[in-house]
Amino acid sequence: MKKVLAVAWPIMLSYVPVGLACGVLGAQCGIGPGWALLLSLTIISGGAQFMISNLWLAGVPAAMIVMSVGAISLRFALYSASLAPHLQKANKRTAMAMALTLIEEGYGVTLGKLCDGDREWTFRQALALNVVTILTWAISVAAGAALGEMVDVPTAVAGFAMTSLFIYLLWDQLVSAEGRVARGGLVAAGAAVAAVVACKLAGAATAAVPVGAVVGVAAALLAGGEGNKGGNAGVEVDGGAPGAGTGAEKGGEAA
Amino acid sequence: MSTMTAQDFLTTWIPAFAIILACRVLPVFLLRGRELPARVVEGLGYIPPAAFAALVANDLFSPNAFAAGPWAALMPVAAAAVVFVVAWKTRSMLWCCVAGVVAYVLLSLI
Repeated sequence: MKKVLAVAWPIMLSYVPVGLACGVLGAQCGIGPGWALLLSLTIISGGAQFMISNLWLAGVPAAMIVMSVGAISLRFALYSASLAPHLQKANKRTAMAMALTLIEEGYGVTLGKLCDGDREWTFRQALALNVVTILTWAISVAAGAALGEMVDVPTAVAGFAMTSLFIYLLWDQLVSAEGRVARGGLVAAGAAVAAVVACKLAGAATAAVPVGAVVGVAAALLAGGEGNKGGNAGVEVDGGAPGAGTGAEKGGEAA
Repeated sequence: MSTMTAQDFLTTWIPAFAIILACRVLPVFLLRGRELPARVVEGLGYIPPAAFAALVANDLFSPNAFAAGPWAALMPVAAAAVVFVVAWKTRSMLWCCVAGVVAYVLLSLI
């Protein structure tokens, strides 16, 4: 457990303020501590949880909120696919547990250790890492929701914490640790931005995010990009997956 | 927008949970020992930057923003620029979120 906590503490530390902000924003929508806890233990994604609150406050219909949450959550399929070859060594129960508790930073740490051949990092420790960080996230969000019910925090301020989180995630996707910019990712991002602006100008604000994401992917594929840092982070299902730390060493996110 | 009722919450949470659960669980069990076509892998890799860029643009751009004056529209963009710089310098989610909120609050006072 010591080894797990040594790896987990920067992630836990960064989850607390972001979780509080997420909970506070949720409270503006009427998501109290109980629902906040349920969301945090099931959705386990700061980006998705922020998005649900933000879009609800903007008057977006539930169906579009779900579609938008689905669009940004598809990356978990990518992470899950890249874990698949490593989880062949695990029994079905362990593989299921690992999949259910898949979070970005835990994924980055565990995949890195698996690819480095760290024999001392077991699935049990990987699972413990996921559980400890998820619990930190869930408690922080619930506490934020409780706080938000008592204190009137400006929605725009709490909402910008989400925007900041997305900017961090975008940066992490576009720029490698060595400072190399992924051309394909840049094309995807640029096209997505243009599509969102076009949708909003055309009065289709509720569809802007999913349309932007689809247009971004299509543009990058058409441009014949060299892949993206996220894509190159290993969906070689049969081979080894290169390390895919998403800023784990700097503290993570539950996005 | 009104606060969420229990029905609103369930209508949003249940399908969202189902999608996220499928994303987390299905690939692990369906792809063990199988190889994805290269173009599919490439496309999957573009989803994160496209989705995050769409989210950021959605937050920063509003057609009615300039109605309250140019600074009201540009202020969030300026705060976002601060976050990009902090991301470049620190690669830390914590510092990005703190810097973003602080920048937003300070710039809104101008």
